[in-house]
Amino acid sequence: MADFTWLIGGEAGFGIMTTGVVFSKIATRSGFYIFDYVEYPSLIRGGHNAYEVHVSDSPVSHLNPAIDILVCLNKETYEKHKSRLTPSSIVIFDKDEFEIKEDIKKIIIPFKKTLSELKGQPVMKNTIALGASIAILGGDIDQLIHIISEQFAKKGEEVINFNKQFVQAGFEAVKKNYPENILNNLVKRPSGEKLVLTGNDAFSLGSVIADARFYVAYPMTPSSTVLTDLAAWQEKVGMVVRHAEDEISVINTAIGSSFAGVRSAVGSSGGGFALMVESLSFAGITEIPIVVFIAQRPGPATGMPTWTEQGDLLFSVFSGHGEFPKIVLAPGDNEEMIELTAKAYNLADIYQMPVIVISDMYLSESHKSVEKSFVDSFISQYKINRGKLIGQDSSFAKATEDKQKYLRYKITEDGISERLIPGTPGHFYQANSYEHVEDGHTTEEAQPRIEQVDKRAKKWVTYLKNDFALPEVYGDIEKSDTVFVSWGSTKGIIMHAQKLLLDKNINSAFIHFNHIYPLDTDKITKLFDKQNKKYILVENNSWGQFGKLLKMETGFEFKEKLLRYDGRPITAEQIVNKLVK
Amino acid sequence: MATIQDFSGYNPTWCPGCGDWGIGIAIKQALIQLGQSPSSVAAVFGIGCSGNMNDFLNAYAIHSLHGRAIPNAIGIKIANHKMPVIAIVGDGDCYGEGGNHLLHACRGNHDITVIVHDNGVYGLTTGQSAPTAQKGFKSKSTPAGILETPINPLALTITSGATFVAQSFAGDAIHTISMIKAGIEHKGFSVVNILQPCVTFNKVNTYQYYLQRVYKLDENYKKEDFKTAVEKSLEINEEKFPLGIIYQNKKLSYTDQLSQLKEGALIDKKRFTDFEKITKLFI
Repeated sequence: MADFTWLIGGEAGFGIMTTGVVFSKIATRSGFYIFDYVEYPSLIRGGHNAYEVHVSDSPVSHLNPAIDILVCLNKETYEKHKSRLTPSSIVIFDKDEFEIKEDIKKIIIPFKKTLSELKGQPVMKNTIALGASIAILGGDIDQLIHIISEQFAKKGEEVINFNKQFVQAGFEAVKKNYPENILNNLVKRPSGEKLVLTGNDAFSLGSVIADARFYVAYPMTPSSTVLTDLAAWQEKVGMVVRHAEDEISVINTAIGSSFAGVRSAVGSSGGGFALMVESLSFAGITEIPIVVFIAQRPGPATGMPTWTEQGDLLFSVFSGHGEFPKIVLAPGDNEEMIELTAKAYNLADIYQMPVIVISDMYLSESHKSVEKSFVDSFISQYKINRGKLIGQDSSFAKATEDKQKYLRYKITEDGISERLIPGTPGHFYQANSYEHVEDGHTTEEAQPRIEQVDKRAKKWVTYLKNDFALPEVYGDIEKSDTVFVSWGSTKGIIMHAQKLLLDKNINSAFIHFNHIYPLDTDKITKLFDKQNKKYILVENNSWGQFGKLLKMETGFEFKEKLLRYDGRPITAEQIVNKLVK
Repeated sequence: MATIQDFSGYNPTWCPGCGDWGIGIAIKQALIQLGQSPSSVAAVFGIGCSGNMNDFLNAYAIHSLHGRAIPNAIGIKIANHKMPVIAIVGDGDCYGEGGNHLLHACRGNHDITVIVHDNGVYGLTTGQSAPTAQKGFKSKSTPAGILETPINPLALTITSGATFVAQSFAGDAIHTISMIKAGIEHKGFSVVNILQPCVTFNKVNTYQYYLQRVYKLDENYKKEDFKTAVEKSLEINEEKFPLGIIYQNKKLSYTDQLSQLKEGALIDKKRFTDFEKITKLFI
């Protein structure tokens, strides 16, 4: 069984990120599964970047405690990560740059000398390191050369050949000097084609699948790559992407386009979302569909921009002044991100309300291999549902003699009214941020106020009946003494912890929520009424926010909690240690 | 052809003598003269006495939040760039709360028309001073007189990239109609700043005040000349109010520059289905 962790580290601003993705793609093209994670400070130059890739021959979405191959582009990488080395770990470094005194397996690669001999730029150290890594892992150099060729395709043969030299230098150095250390961890194996996606890539892909045509954002880590992904694809897919002047403009531009009938979304992190919330309430009362993507990072305020936390759950659930319905979804991994993103657009249209898709840095920026067959089959079965949207060619729109009868906020059984695309001849209406009567005109009268508040609330009832999904339960609650409860990005970590526990003959169950709000109290309560079970709340925040929400909705109170709020993801080992002391 | 009646919703609730009455009629007249109907136009209203026109003017409309009409209007335009889009806003709304949106809408040359009711006060919240109030203006929020100097809407928008900037006076309906029409017909970002007496809360900038200080630009005025326009707009600082198109120039609008919209409006496009083009990027 192949299962190892490769980590490359070096000074920020020298290509570590790109190198990591290349490594992940080589692994997936060789038939393996990957999950990767980056650590970087909030600056462009001068800090330290570390990129680790967990490679396995079965699907993975967690990190390992040990590093098997540590590639040090500087001394800091070694110092920061040596505590994670085991006796079988291998360290790749250049002894001309720094010395390692400890007795470990050393692969010395002359980065400095090679760069000066071949007249390379500092960033090409990464290329040498990749060559050496592939060699030591028993991988195929052609895979790497192929990727390098793709990367520099636009720059021409000369640039490709120049870069190839560095690949070969790294590769040959290992082959020549360390033949006895060569492993067979990356030997190509038969396996289906895989995509290497971050959570943000998955949101972007889900948006395209759902026919979202307008995305508006202001850059904010860790959400920004959705903006850059979609901006790069916009002409290809016929979408418009606007980088607006601030987040208030972001959401209001999207509300305008959604009013006009176009599927629209916005994205940010907690701070940017904070600027949007008055307008979220505006979308609530005007019943304009909108999808809001939030990639959380540790707050408050600027907080720790490039680290991870699940600290904005309650903020998202209760965002916006006044009482209006919204839906909050929290995908657990990239597959769920694709599914729930595409679902979010349908829900926004069906229920004519804001739908928040909440992620965090850990999910948003980590790559995970996703089977292409999964994506293809999801695409083929996904159906766009725009709810009660009336287009220009509908019979209603053509029946101009009925023009007085169009009531945008008509009271209905399910709380949802027909939504007419502006420009439809013979009609008009206003989407009103003031309380309004059925035709949209402003009102301050008591009765229509009550009717409209009740109508909007009814949409939640309809949602719970038709589209709410209960949490997935992994493992068997009946057979387990311990039941983990969590939401969003902790999914893969907790599932791995369950495996580790099973190795110790401990059965556990795991209730994973991804339809976060509203919750179906009756159905949820049944999951928490088991006697003599140890329910453990696991969250990447300090308040146990989902626990508070669950208590509010069901009255259930957790006695045991595992909370992490140092900006790092929870690990499976932490969870195991909580149970096995 | 649509009539005033078609465009008329509820009866306005503005104070008798308010400049909004003249502006309300001018907007309807301008739309009629342009051959528009309530079904063919999108209007976004801000919050304020001006924004209350939402219930008096029939159109596909959004009654927005305070300050946010411009981004809503930009969104509608990007979704359906064939539809004329107007934003009906106040001075506090557009120059105060939504000031940042105005600057960047000018830069983007978004093809929308912003009609600003400029009366120097916040009427709907009972008369606090607005960003266009003259220095020293006494109001409930500035009892000792406002310390800030007023915004110069004309100079601000011209220098920020607006391609059509006009000024009119609510007391001159015919001229106001012509400015609104020209603004809507202009391809690109257009602003019509309408000087409008608030008879209830502004005892300084009255009809009399404006009648003594407004004047129409003559036929020889070179509205295409940027420097002339900036100079002209600075006259406001001396309490001289030129009426007419202060600045107009041709530039590609935001949606003109989007190749995705060359073949039709975003709302009318066929769904993209060639997903291999995207998935292959990740292999």
